[in-house]
Amino acid sequence: MLLRKQHAAIVAPPGGRSQLPLHHPFPPAQGRAGSYHSQDGVREWRRAHWSPFARRRQSVLPPCVRTAFHWEAGGGRLGSTRALPVLLAAGRCVRCRGCLWRERGGMSTCSVSKGCFVFKPSPKKRRVSQKTAIHFRDGKNGSEDSELRFDTCQSLWNQIKLETEQIQEDLNKQLLDNVVSFLRRSHSEFQGKTTEWTYRMKSREIPTAALVLGVNVTDHDLTFRNLSEALQNNITPYIALLEAKDCSGIKNLMQKLMGQLMNCSTDVASLEDEDYVQVSQNRIRCSMKSLVDWYESVTKKTDSETLSKKRTSSSKHQQSPPVVVIFKDMESFTTKVLQDFIVISSQHICELPLVLIFGIATSPMIIHSLLPHSVSSLLCIELFQSLSCKEHLSTVIDKLLLTSRFPFKLGEKVLQVLINIFLYHDFSVWNFIRGFQLCIVEHFYSQPLSVLCCQLADAKERVNSLSHDQCENVRRLPSFRRYVERQEAEKQIALLTADSFLKETTQKLLEDLHVYHENYVSVLRCLHVFTCSLPKYPLGKQIRELHCACLENRVWETEDYESSLQLARMLNKSDLETILQQCVEILVSSAGNEFDKAVEKLKEFLTQFQKLEAEAFQEQDVSVSSQKELQKKTDLYHLQKTLLELKDSRRSKKLTKFEMLRFEVVDYIDSLVRNYLVPADHKTLHEVVYFNTASVLRGHLNAAPRIALHTALNNPYNYLKNQALKSDGGSISNKAPDICIVYKLHLECGRLINLVDWLEAFSTVVTAVEEPNADTASSDQVDDIIHARFIRAVSELELLGFIKPSKQKTDHVARLTWGGC
Amino acid sequence: EYSASCSEEEDEEDQKEDNTVLSGQETPEKMKAAPAPPPSNPLAKKNKENKMGNLVEEYFEAHSSSKVLTSDRTLQKLRRRRLSQQTLHDLLKKAPLAYAAEIKELNQLHESLFSKWMLQLHLGFNIVLYGLGSKRDLLEKFRTSLLQDSVHLVVNGYFPSITVRSILNSITEEVLDHIGTFRSPLDQLDFIIEKFKEDSSLELYVLIHNLDSQMLRGERSQQILAQLSSLPSIYLIASVDHINAPLMWDQAKLSLYNWLWYETTTFSPYVEETSYENSLLVQQSGSLALSSLTHVLLSLTVNARGIFRLLAQYQLENKGNPSYPGLSFQDFYQRCREAFLVNSDLTLRAQLTEFRDHKLIRTKRGADGVEYLLIPVDDSTLTDFLEKENEDV
Repeated sequence: MLLRKQHAAIVAPPGGRSQLPLHHPFPPAQGRAGSYHSQDGVREWRRAHWSPFARRRQSVLPPCVRTAFHWEAGGGRLGSTRALPVLLAAGRCVRCRGCLWRERGGMSTCSVSKGCFVFKPSPKKRRVSQKTAIHFRDGKNGSEDSELRFDTCQSLWNQIKLETEQIQEDLNKQLLDNVVSFLRRSHSEFQGKTTEWTYRMKSREIPTAALVLGVNVTDHDLTFRNLSEALQNNITPYIALLEAKDCSGIKNLMQKLMGQLMNCSTDVASLEDEDYVQVSQNRIRCSMKSLVDWYESVTKKTDSETLSKKRTSSSKHQQSPPVVVIFKDMESFTTKVLQDFIVISSQHICELPLVLIFGIATSPMIIHSLLPHSVSSLLCIELFQSLSCKEHLSTVIDKLLLTSRFPFKLGEKVLQVLINIFLYHDFSVWNFIRGFQLCIVEHFYSQPLSVLCCQLADAKERVNSLSHDQCENVRRLPSFRRYVERQEAEKQIALLTADSFLKETTQKLLEDLHVYHENYVSVLRCLHVFTCSLPKYPLGKQIRELHCACLENRVWETEDYESSLQLARMLNKSDLETILQQCVEILVSSAGNEFDKAVEKLKEFLTQFQKLEAEAFQEQDVSVSSQKELQKKTDLYHLQKTLLELKDSRRSKKLTKFEMLRFEVVDYIDSLVRNYLVPADHKTLHEVVYFNTASVLRGHLNAAPRIALHTALNNPYNYLKNQALKSDGGSISNKAPDICIVYKLHLECGRLINLVDWLEAFSTVVTAVEEPNADTASSDQVDDIIHARFIRAVSELELLGFIKPSKQKTDHVARLTWGGC
Repeated sequence: EYSASCSEEEDEEDQKEDNTVLSGQETPEKMKAAPAPPPSNPLAKKNKENKMGNLVEEYFEAHSSSKVLTSDRTLQKLRRRRLSQQTLHDLLKKAPLAYAAEIKELNQLHESLFSKWMLQLHLGFNIVLYGLGSKRDLLEKFRTSLLQDSVHLVVNGYFPSITVRSILNSITEEVLDHIGTFRSPLDQLDFIIEKFKEDSSLELYVLIHNLDSQMLRGERSQQILAQLSSLPSIYLIASVDHINAPLMWDQAKLSLYNWLWYETTTFSPYVEETSYENSLLVQQSGSLALSSLTHVLLSLTVNARGIFRLLAQYQLENKGNPSYPGLSFQDFYQRCREAFLVNSDLTLRAQLTEFRDHKLIRTKRGADGVEYLLIPVDDSTLTDFLEKENEDV
């Protein structure tokens, strides 16, 4: 394994042999005069020492020597410009200085010749399955109830995961049904084995389904998985899913295709003829012809089987099921491969009922830009559109966040971060859910009281068994402290000293919180019904925007809310009626039971509106009569007078009954909002169920490595809390770490940087401090050290990608970044 | 106005806060220092735009003329032009590490996250570390403190001849104990995926130092690694250093990797990582090449050594000639014959085979079909070699 070639260039550390425990010495140095003189002798020696046994023995060597052999043997480049060769001198690895040898002969991961190191603990020592919960407990944030917390976390996440999968399935159902029925139709003629001329003409065309799935390519996986499951159950066992990365040429494509198809055939074909399966992939040439042969043999077999045994598995499918080939993310395929495949397979469509499915991320136009007319005319394309990812997200938020089913909640900032990542980075619902998962984990990991973040009944029980430490944790919660301050003196003392009283109160507060959530969701939906129909959507079009606004602060104090109420006061009657109707439905179906009154009230409004209809005619009459008065013949003076009167009367005119009622309705909704849409962080104990540390989330999901590098280089004080590093801005501090100085110096340069000048500048900056105690005698050495430090800093900058060597001018490097960061 | 990264919003908020603080103090000096009225929001935005404009201009200014105004001094003129790797290492050992205490503090901060990393790895996330400073020691510490009892693979991405293939090989050969070869890395990957799916008790931690290294940053390598990391029982923890490292990954790869980013600024020097770097200022010594030359030659006959010396001398005579094609076989034979080193061109060929096997010479066919012989070693090494030879003789 180490040595692939026997003719390794033999490298021995000159003169250093005695220091190393070599088990197979090199040909003796006196070989020049001795028995190894001839070439045969050398070969003999080599045969003796480079046998497999010798190879095994080699592992006794220190890695640095062993690896040097290996490196040479593996076609190492002699005199290569890489720095490798330097490392083996004077018999020891220069870099590791023999340390490898001391470290139990191979536990280290620094080597001159190997990049990969596998460590296998002895089977005895190996922990079979490490429990994840162990790591949960190790956290510094208190070990209270850690196992319970972890279990709660896991079960919650599993529930949510199931829910999201269910959502996805439901949303895709329509699409999948359509595709399945399309496939049913596509080859119905094939079953009949008609030999009509029209059929033959038509059969040159390959039935193709184009699925437009949206730009969030990462979400497609799940869709395709569902699709192939659905097809497997309903239509055909022969499904192949191709990805662009496997199909660089038509040959690879065919290989992959046949591999997948022939494997799946084993599901249907009985296992008796295993030899057939084994033959398939390796020996059969990958061509369309062999694919057709395979298809014929498979269908014939199942035919005979169904005749004889009436097997259930094959009776599920049609007589000769189509072969479905799915192209995942069609845009990423090379056009040539696609074209070739389509042209070739269209030749065989009579014998092989092929159906293609294209997954498209952009628009259906892409088919025509990828395929020329001559090729696309061979396809009979039907288009299917999936739900947009935004709608998907709305459903997910609706089902996961705006429900009282799950005890865990997201704070405003956190939700905003997740939504921003979705809207401005990837449009991926999958990523959103992943972020949600991270929130759950973080919450349960960092908040000891999250043990109470479960269904209300469980939470109440758990409150009873809280330890004293946990009670203290409760007392430390900011929201709880605020609550205590509001209480009377005696109660305050009781809360702060008696654990049992605290537990009682906590139970009550948790229940309050639960009720608050139930009501919150219903009222939020009611408000959304109102605001989503207003012009310009002052409170947002989507319910998630409204949700964020309500979480952020008291929504009724915002300008947007004010203006939306204004607009709501101008709604016409029919709109208002439908809205009220919807609100009634929402409140009736809500989980909270405080809304009986509200429902009654709203119903009353509705009946009043109906009553108004009768009265409306009268009003009309009045207004008409006043209009008529104006039309009478009159002089200018009178006209003016009547107009003024009319104006006065209008100003002071009592509002119509409808308008009054409308005001009443809006006021009532307003009162509901003020009652129930209090921001969550005003609620006591909200920390238990709300995850609010957005910064953590942003740091982990949406990191900015370049900014971090820039900050570290520009302002090391951010990280290294040493007073000496506190800088006043622009100037280059001589106390900063070397790399920071070098970086700042390089910022002052243009496209190319002269290394000598750079070095000089560096040494000027660095020596500025060391001046007083610089001895003349040792200055030489100091210079050397500075030089070395400079080299290190420059090569670090090169590693980081700020500069690169340039050949434009000797001893120059090119600068690669411009601007701050 | 929405900002994609959310950070800008906060910056603005910070700015606002600063402003209020400023105006709250109302010291005349401060007012003088900031002649502009306390910038309101639109003004701040304008400032930002201006700044952006400056960046753009800075770039074009630097690239506008092909002429670069830098001094013509070269390292040749310095007394110590280039240090060898060895001396560099020794010198740096003498230089004390600045801010060791603070760096240690930083590291302790990161080390407190170890158990969290383990938790998150087990929950299906993979971890990537970024930030200034070598993260090698940190990862090593992680490895030695938490992974001792589990199977793990350490990959030194900065190693100059690392390949995805070698990573896959060490998984199949050493972790899965599979003997046999694969047609392509993709086949190998399929095999690994299959194995890990079959046996749910298999677990593998993969630590990759410098996932963004020259050798691993290619699209295909990243694709394969991403697919590996997406396996539920492979836990990947990697570090990146290059400023443009995130550009390696598109959405598809990112979702496979399922990263959690951790900022671990350590300020430790990149000792290991840069030791392989073909550094600008470090002298490339050919000591390994030299020692391999002498050792191969030691085991050969006097005549063979003479043949090689002849070729080396000829090559050195022509070292000024950039278009030197090598010594043609016929000429070489003639010279060897004259020096009584060989008696037929068959013997010469036999001798040359020996050199060729050790990659000490290279043959090249010229445009006229003549065979040319070259020693693929740089001139200084060759000179050293000849000097040494002459001493011995």
